[in-house]
Amino acid sequence: MTPPNKTTFSLTVQVNPDFLPVVTAFIEKASRAFGLGESEALSLTLAAEEVFSYLCSTGRLNEALSVTCTNGHYYVQEEFRFRAEHFNVRAFNLTASALPDEDADWLQTGLLIASRMVDRFQFFQEDGTSRLLLRKEKHYPELEDSPVTSPQPLRNIVIRHPDPEELKVASHLIAGNYPLHWIPQRLRVPGKLVDMVQSGDFGAAVAADTSGHLGGLVVWHTHENKLIGLYGPYVFDRTKSSDISRALIESFIGVVAKSGAIGILNRYPTPEIPTEYFEVLGSFTIRAPSGDPVQSEAFYRHLEEDLGMAVWAHPLLEGFLREQYEKLFFARDIQLITSEGETSSPFSVLSAHVDRKVGRVTLRPVWGGKDAEENLADHVRVLKQENIPQIFFEMDLGRSWHSRFTPGLLNTGFEPRLVLPYAGAGDLVMFQLRDDEAHV
Amino acid sequence: MTSLNLDHLLPDHIKHFEAYVPSKPDPELMRLYGCSRLYRLNNNENPLGPPEAAQEVIRNFPPPSAAVYPSGDAYYLRTKLAQRFGMDPDQFLVGNGANEVISFVMKAFCEKGDNIITADKTFAVYEWIAEFSGFEARLVPLKDYAFDDQALLDSIDEGTKILFVCNPNNPTGTYWNRDKLTRFLDTINGRRIVVVDEAYFEFVEAEDFPNGMDYIRDYPNLVVFRTFSKMYGLAGLRIGYLAGSLEVVQAIRRTCIVYSVNALAQIAAAAALDQDDHVVRSRALVREGKLYLKRELSRLGLSFQMGEGNFIMIRLPMSDTLAYRKLMTHGVMVRAMTGFRFPNHIRVTVSHMEAMQAFIEALEKILPHRPRLLHSIPRETG
Repeated sequence: MTPPNKTTFSLTVQVNPDFLPVVTAFIEKASRAFGLGESEALSLTLAAEEVFSYLCSTGRLNEALSVTCTNGHYYVQEEFRFRAEHFNVRAFNLTASALPDEDADWLQTGLLIASRMVDRFQFFQEDGTSRLLLRKEKHYPELEDSPVTSPQPLRNIVIRHPDPEELKVASHLIAGNYPLHWIPQRLRVPGKLVDMVQSGDFGAAVAADTSGHLGGLVVWHTHENKLIGLYGPYVFDRTKSSDISRALIESFIGVVAKSGAIGILNRYPTPEIPTEYFEVLGSFTIRAPSGDPVQSEAFYRHLEEDLGMAVWAHPLLEGFLREQYEKLFFARDIQLITSEGETSSPFSVLSAHVDRKVGRVTLRPVWGGKDAEENLADHVRVLKQENIPQIFFEMDLGRSWHSRFTPGLLNTGFEPRLVLPYAGAGDLVMFQLRDDEAHV
Repeated sequence: MTSLNLDHLLPDHIKHFEAYVPSKPDPELMRLYGCSRLYRLNNNENPLGPPEAAQEVIRNFPPPSAAVYPSGDAYYLRTKLAQRFGMDPDQFLVGNGANEVISFVMKAFCEKGDNIITADKTFAVYEWIAEFSGFEARLVPLKDYAFDDQALLDSIDEGTKILFVCNPNNPTGTYWNRDKLTRFLDTINGRRIVVVDEAYFEFVEAEDFPNGMDYIRDYPNLVVFRTFSKMYGLAGLRIGYLAGSLEVVQAIRRTCIVYSVNALAQIAAAAALDQDDHVVRSRALVREGKLYLKRELSRLGLSFQMGEGNFIMIRLPMSDTLAYRKLMTHGVMVRAMTGFRFPNHIRVTVSHMEAMQAFIEALEKILPHRPRLLHSIPRETG
């Protein structure tokens, strides 16, 4: 369903090369109308051209295909909906090569180009219908010199929704007051932050005094999976640090308490986080700008009374999960996956969310296949070559096929670090490549 | 297979509304949390159960009668209510729990563009029903844990049809006394419908607490809610009612779903009404439980909000939803208050001493450390 604040345009065409100009013109005009720059709109259009051409070559000719273009304010997304049971997204792997080996299909080259044209892709297949989502973000000026916080303590602080200019100021203040590795990528660009909040995908609250000085900020992200991602609290008036952070968090919880979200997850906590409102899920290792390893904790808060649920797991992960669920007091039925001779896809696909500035990447399964371990190893090799040492992998225990990556992960040098409740269709397990592996 | 796109079928206010997911049945929860017994301290149920006369009626209900439709408008129960309160039977409407009568009132008076006003931290169903019905729910912050009469009045505009006041308030136990309610109704002066929800009326011991039934004659715009789920221990049968002036109740009746209250609930409720000794015993149990909790919570250094009603709200130095899960592993089920916009608070039903002791024992085990004094900063509204 279309989220609030989002405008969409839709086009339904037949899978037929004759309609290629219609599809590309639609994407280009829609992208421009939604505010993408010329270069970004061209990239998205090129991606659409390659995907449609691929479908014309491999799909059933003249079957209906719908293309939806959504204005996400800070991005434009195109979604292809079609019936193609054997759509092969192998080319969307970060490791896919433009030089096909003897078994590869030349058609995949088009998809490879499409994948490199966009910032994010998702692929779903249900009931014979495939959905391919390609997203291109708008270009924003990078953050320049950031002012430091005003030394003057604030008086009569209230918590309220910020206006766009305040958000930009707050973004500068964050950059001026916190080390880079504590700041999520999406908060580092002031204009983008404004658009993110405008989109309705994100919320924000500031602590400000009556004269308009900012004392703190929290930002949150409502995911499709009902978990709210929390960033902060960022506190600029250190003289009232605990009061401001508590007030920001109380206010934020009040806003989201009846939103229907199940929980709040904070993977970027600041030292000011009032811990009594959260539970610690565990820790993972990040790198400070100096290169030194730093343990960072993930904080969670459930918003409802937990009703428990069933999760899928590979037997190799069962012990870790039982230990974690007992520690976190989450009621779970762990259902073990089995292999009983059924046929599986030869290829797996992973998406990679890369933050080059801090050398961090998160891999997520898009498609399961027999080459999972080899594919993981290839990703690790390429990412090491690109000097990205912090490699994470997120496994959704609500999708049974994700668990098939477990042996490959363990053999490649990953270790399970955290369970993130309800962060996917079910709970997510966050794996991290061991430090000794990351620097080989 | 035909494809279905609900996007074009669902109204906007339903698209963005999240369904309420009730708790799993007790045996399922006990299995999941690995506990062998469960003290239910989450729903403010009466541990004494229904009054003896009601239990007798339930025991003697002839199974073949289940094949016969009940009275469509709870005729005999309304007659009995009328006798008890000295009113006309047509001044009462009976529903499948008080939740249903909330819906009747909103359907009767609100249309697109209208709003209702209530508090931000109170029984959630007023807000909930308004939102899924497509009406705006204006939420006024509590003041010192109580409904703020002036702020409610200040929030009224042309579109305001109903003001909901929970008296005593769930979950804070605060209440408006006779003077305050009178002043409020005088100020409204019949221009809006005022609903006073007295779900916990029978537990109240404060002498200056107003009995809403006494006000109906002078204030024909007043609607009073009562339930058989709390004091009378009939929550499992789902039965509650409203009372008001003939004119107002006649209007609400147009939206009332007939035959929604089952036969057993109707006769059990009628039998329960006469059992004043049950009220006395229940109040004594609550009084004793509150004294115990007050002492034990003070010993643990926890702050709490205790007023009228068979419940108490406790502030914890930890997440209430985590406390819920930890307490469940000890066989104690409480209500986490995040959903009531009271983060880090739990509401506990005052029950018999064995349950209260089990609760305190479990609470002591799960508390991380002694609580710190917590300051607060006001949140701007409007």
